[in-house]
Amino acid sequence: MNSPSATLPDAAPPSLQANRLRSLQSLGIFCGFAAGAWLGGAEAPIKLVNPDISPITVSLIMVCGVFLARWSVPAFIRGTSHVGADLRQAPHLVLWAVLAGCMWAVANTLTIYAIRNVGLSIAFPLWNTNSLLGIFWGVVLFKELQFAGWKRWLGVLGGAVCMFGGATLLAVASSHQAAPGKAALGIAAALGAGILWGTMYIPYRKAYLTGMNPLSFITFFTVGELVTMISLAVGYRGATPLWHELVGARSVLFWLMLGGFVWVLGDLFQQYATKYVGISRGIPLSNTNQLWGLLWGILVFHELQGGTRTVYTQVITGSLLMAAGAVAIALSSATEREHSSWRSAADREGQRYGIEDEYVRAGMEGRAFGAPQRSRTLLDWILILGTSGLFALLALSARLPHMDISLSWAVALTAAMLALLAAGGIALWRTTRFR
Amino acid sequence: MPSERFRTTFRAIATDVHFWIPFGVLIGGLFLLDKLR
Repeated sequence: MNSPSATLPDAAPPSLQANRLRSLQSLGIFCGFAAGAWLGGAEAPIKLVNPDISPITVSLIMVCGVFLARWSVPAFIRGTSHVGADLRQAPHLVLWAVLAGCMWAVANTLTIYAIRNVGLSIAFPLWNTNSLLGIFWGVVLFKELQFAGWKRWLGVLGGAVCMFGGATLLAVASSHQAAPGKAALGIAAALGAGILWGTMYIPYRKAYLTGMNPLSFITFFTVGELVTMISLAVGYRGATPLWHELVGARSVLFWLMLGGFVWVLGDLFQQYATKYVGISRGIPLSNTNQLWGLLWGILVFHELQGGTRTVYTQVITGSLLMAAGAVAIALSSATEREHSSWRSAADREGQRYGIEDEYVRAGMEGRAFGAPQRSRTLLDWILILGTSGLFALLALSARLPHMDISLSWAVALTAAMLALLAAGGIALWRTTRFR
Repeated sequence: MPSERFRTTFRAIATDVHFWIPFGVLIGGLFLLDKLR
C-alpha cells in the first residue's frame, strides 16, 4: 500500500486530542492481541521440522526468513524511501536498533540451552518474566504509568502477574520432559533470556518515543539479529559443518523460513503496540502468544492427547488466567495525564539527540511529517519480488513430514490469524497510515 | 557538518545511561552463553 500523506491533515494540534488518544490506545491494544496470534502461529511451521537438526541451525535459518521479511514487508507497505527519511531525522536510532537485534539473537540462543537443561515447564515462566522487567523499565526510564491512578496500576501489574501465573501453568502442562541435570545452568540461561528480552524493550521504547516508524526500526534491528546469529552459529558449529547441515536441511528450509516470516508479522504488531501503548502494556499483551501456541499444539498437532485430568485442569486454569490478565491490561489504557508524561519523556529524548520537536510529536501521534516520500522504488520491487521468488523456490523443494495433523483446524486458525492481520492492517492504515 | 553531527550523536549516546543498561545486559548475555557452551 502506498502512503498518501497528502490526504491526511498535516497540521499538528497543540496537544493530543482526547479522541485521537483513545483511538491510538485502542489501536495499540488491538495490535498487542494481534501480535500474540501471529507470534504464537509462528511456532506451527517449526513443529513440522525434524528434531535432528541442531537448535542453533534451526534458529539461524529462521533468522534468515526473518531478515528477508523485515526488509520486504516494509518495502511492500510503505517503500524503503520512508526508511531513509527516518534515518535522516534520527540517525542515532540505527545503533539502538542494531543493539536490540543483537540482544534478541543472544536471548533466543539462551532459550535453546534453557529448554535443553531444565525443560520447557521451568524455562518458559522464567524467561516470561521479561514482561515484568519491561514494566519496570517503562516506569523507571520512560515515565509510563505516571499519574495513572491505582486502578490502572492494579490493572497493568495485576494483569501481568496473572499472565505470568497462567503462563507457568501452561508451560507445566505442555512439558513432557523429565527433570534433567545441569539445572543451575538452565535456570541461569532462562533468566538470562528473560533479562535480555525485558531490557531489549528499552531500545524499542527509545525509538518510538523519538518518533521512529516501526517499519524503519525493524530493518536495522534485523541487521543486528542476523550478524549475531551468523557469528554464534559459525562459532558454535564451525563453518563447514554448519554449511553441510544447511544443505542437508533443504527440505525444511521453507517451513523454518516461513516460521520466521510469520513471526515478523507478529513482531511488527508488537512494535506498533509498544509504540502506541508503551512497553508496560504492549509486551504483556503480545505474550498471549503462548495461548495461540497452545491452540496450535492441541488442535492441529494433537498434543496433550490422552493427558491426565491434572494436565487439562492446568491448561484450562492457565488459559483463563492469561486471558483475564490480558483483559485487565487492555482495560487499563493510558489517560491523558499519563500520556502527557510520555510526552515529557519524548521531549527529553528529542533534546538529547537534537531531533526536531515536530518530528517527535508527529511520530507519537501517528501523523505525517515533512514532504511525502516516493511510495516505492526499484529497490522495493527487487526486495518484494526477490523474497517472493525465493520463498516460491524453497516451497517447491519443501516436504511435509508424515505427521498426524488436523488440516481443518489448521485452516480455521490460519483464517483467524488472517482476519486479525486484515483488521489490524486496516486499523493501522486508517488511524496512522502505518506510522 | 556531517562529522560534527556524528560527534554530537556519539557524545549523546556515550553519555546516555539508557544505552549502557542494554549494552551491559548484552555483554552479560554473551558471557553467559560462553559459559553454557
